[in-house]
Amino acid sequence: MKKKRFAIFLLVAVFILAPVALMLYGRLLYGGTSKEIEQMTTYDRHYVMITGAEDSGLWDAVYESAKAEGEKRGIYIERFGDQLAVQYDRCQLVKMAVQASVDGIIVNSDETEEMTACIDEAVAQGIPVATVLNDCSGSMRQCFVGTNNYHIGQEYGKQIRQALRNMKKKGMKKVLVLTENNSGDTSGNLILLGIRETLEREIKVTHEVSVDAVPIDNSDSFGAEEYIRDVFLDAEQIPDILVCLSGVYTQCAYQAAVDYNKVGMVQLLGYYDSEQILDALAKNILTVTITPDTQQMGQLSVEALDEYRQTGYTNGYTAVDVQLITASDAKERLARIEQEQGL
Amino acid sequence: MRKRWMSMTLRQKLIMLFIVTSCFIVIVNLYTYASISRMLQRVEKVYTSNVSLNDLSDGLDALQTATSDYLQTKGSDAMERYYRSEQDYRDLLEMLNRRATDNEMLLTEKNIYGLSQSYLELAGEIIQAKRGRNVEKYASLYSDASELYDEIHTFIYSLNNEQFKNNSVTYRALVESLRYTEMITVIVLLLVLVGNGGLIVMSTRMITEPLKLLADTADEVAKGNFAVEQLPVRQMDEVGIVTAAFNQMVRSIRAYIEQLRITMERESQLKERELMMQSHLKDAQLKYLQAQINPHFLFNTLNAGAQLAMMEDAAKTEQFLLNVSEFFRYNVRKNNQSVTLGEEVRLVDNYVYILNVRFAGEIHFEKDVDQSLSNVEVPGMILQPLVENAVNYGIRNIEWEGRIELTVCRKDDHISISVWDNGAGMTEERIHQVLSGSIDEEAATDHSNGVGMRNVIERLNLFFHDQAKLELFSEGINKGTEVVLTIPFTGEEE
Repeated sequence: MKKKRFAIFLLVAVFILAPVALMLYGRLLYGGTSKEIEQMTTYDRHYVMITGAEDSGLWDAVYESAKAEGEKRGIYIERFGDQLAVQYDRCQLVKMAVQASVDGIIVNSDETEEMTACIDEAVAQGIPVATVLNDCSGSMRQCFVGTNNYHIGQEYGKQIRQALRNMKKKGMKKVLVLTENNSGDTSGNLILLGIRETLEREIKVTHEVSVDAVPIDNSDSFGAEEYIRDVFLDAEQIPDILVCLSGVYTQCAYQAAVDYNKVGMVQLLGYYDSEQILDALAKNILTVTITPDTQQMGQLSVEALDEYRQTGYTNGYTAVDVQLITASDAKERLARIEQEQGL
Repeated sequence: MRKRWMSMTLRQKLIMLFIVTSCFIVIVNLYTYASISRMLQRVEKVYTSNVSLNDLSDGLDALQTATSDYLQTKGSDAMERYYRSEQDYRDLLEMLNRRATDNEMLLTEKNIYGLSQSYLELAGEIIQAKRGRNVEKYASLYSDASELYDEIHTFIYSLNNEQFKNNSVTYRALVESLRYTEMITVIVLLLVLVGNGGLIVMSTRMITEPLKLLADTADEVAKGNFAVEQLPVRQMDEVGIVTAAFNQMVRSIRAYIEQLRITMERESQLKERELMMQSHLKDAQLKYLQAQINPHFLFNTLNAGAQLAMMEDAAKTEQFLLNVSEFFRYNVRKNNQSVTLGEEVRLVDNYVYILNVRFAGEIHFEKDVDQSLSNVEVPGMILQPLVENAVNYGIRNIEWEGRIELTVCRKDDHISISVWDNGAGMTEERIHQVLSGSIDEEAATDHSNGVGMRNVIERLNLFFHDQAKLELFSEGINKGTEVVLTIPFTGEEE
């Protein structure tokens, strides 16, 4: 009798519980799809960051920092134009942002008239604008968050002098500076000025050193790489010291130096601190690199816009720190990154 | 529930079983159907967002076309189309998200909304300028609007792409879960199949088990074993009722048999008592007779007479007295014991000798006895009464010479003893009366030595366990009588 009751119980269990369990399990399994929309967070304000396609590593870092800062303040920062099927230039993107009625614009600007007009239009529409890294000083932008380019030039100058001292070569020494060619952009010029003045002051004998600046046309996305390879291929032209004023140029230069076996022959001074650049530093392909504090840049730009929104005014210029990274620093940083990734 | 099930009829149980199993299968099928239809709905829904974006794109196209048409023709048709498409587009815009969010697609919707609002404003201005015939202004505005139109399209296109990518992922997940649902359905169906099978087997067993038990027990009873156990009645369905009735029937039969046995026992007791009464009576009769004649006195007296006759040289008297003495001694001694056939024949000889002395040799007695049968045991006093009857009722009062013949012979495994006389004979009716014992025993006693035909028959039957046979033959009055006694031959030969 007991056995029979157990059999009945088992039967009922198989009969009812198993299908129910399967149903529940099934619901659990496919209930989770396409729920992302419901899990979103809404924000009070919507700022856009317009950076252009170049130097994506640096700008990714700036954007992440700005986004994190925005989240603290109830602002969503959009990387405007990134997802679009058509690539618009930064000026057009500013215009579109204005037409889309965003609450604030953070833009990697330039000194062109077109950009000035766009920024002025935005400000006229009551949208505050902060320029980052590259200023548009002629416009009515609320604030510029960036490095002191003259100061960067001085840093590079000191490093060049150091490199020259270590050099055994006699006679004329060539220094080539690769700048970004943004018409009317003074940043490259300021850096160059900084380098020249520092060298004059420190070495006194300027006729033994020639400092040339080559502006690389940014309108063609792949032009920089081709030009840098040309520099390494031409034995006449090959400089003793090559200064790259962008992350992309730095990467191109050290890649070319490795490919053409010129490591050690050409002293490379780089810009920015991506992992690849740090790696090259650690391997002594690069002599030194100088990088703006991207964390600070993103954070300060959001802060400036928010301050303007709250108080109606803000600092016209907010300086971002610059860091000099040597081979030993690079090793340290790489070790730290490895540790973090390991965790 | 259990009680309810127990009290259900067989038909109700079968119907319920059928309904329950059917319900299970129907429920599982409904669940399967519902989940598949739900999945299909979700699959359908996946691409609706793309469809609505296409609508938005079409709306924008219509508005742009209407604006440009109006600029070209300034026709009222174009005007009307412009207003209609503007309203349509505004309606379409209402479904877009307008909040700042970290969802890229919704944020793009917000941007599209903002851009579209700018576009609508611009279009409005264009129409106003056209009306005011401000050619320069509307031409420049139209150029701006066209640019904006392209940009909005880019946004919509990009969003559409993103959504398509997202939807494809969702679609893949849905297809996967559809496959999973398929699997679940098969498993559930199999489970239900197994469960249903189990349920049917169990219920059927529950229903038929008592029936089987009943059949087995009935079979047992049919074989004659009434000592079966009472069957348990758990359910009050038809089988339960039949089982209860069967139990009652077995009980009744058992009680009836018991009653019958008691009655028979009582009857046999009664018979026994009656027999004992009879035997006591006979005993009493014998004791009475014995009391009348002191056998020892009689034998001594007869022996003394025989001695006297011998001394006086009266040989015939001596022979007579010896015969008489032997006859009475046998009568007293052997009356109730088994004797041999030879002794019986000797007694008949004694008896006939005495009678012939009494009736002066009137009886002609002949015997043909198979000597090998002399030692066969028979109850005492069976031949003498037959011969006495043959004398008394056969040849006593006849006019012609009386003859009696005694024949003892073996026939197969029987012994046949025949006493024949040529005397008065009997009618068929008389034969029947004698054999059935309807002639009063008391009446017979007066004329004989006390041992009648009936007595002989009964004692033979008792001695040979009903295997002895006594027959009477007579061809009619004055045609003589033959009494044939047939007893089984038990093999005790010399």
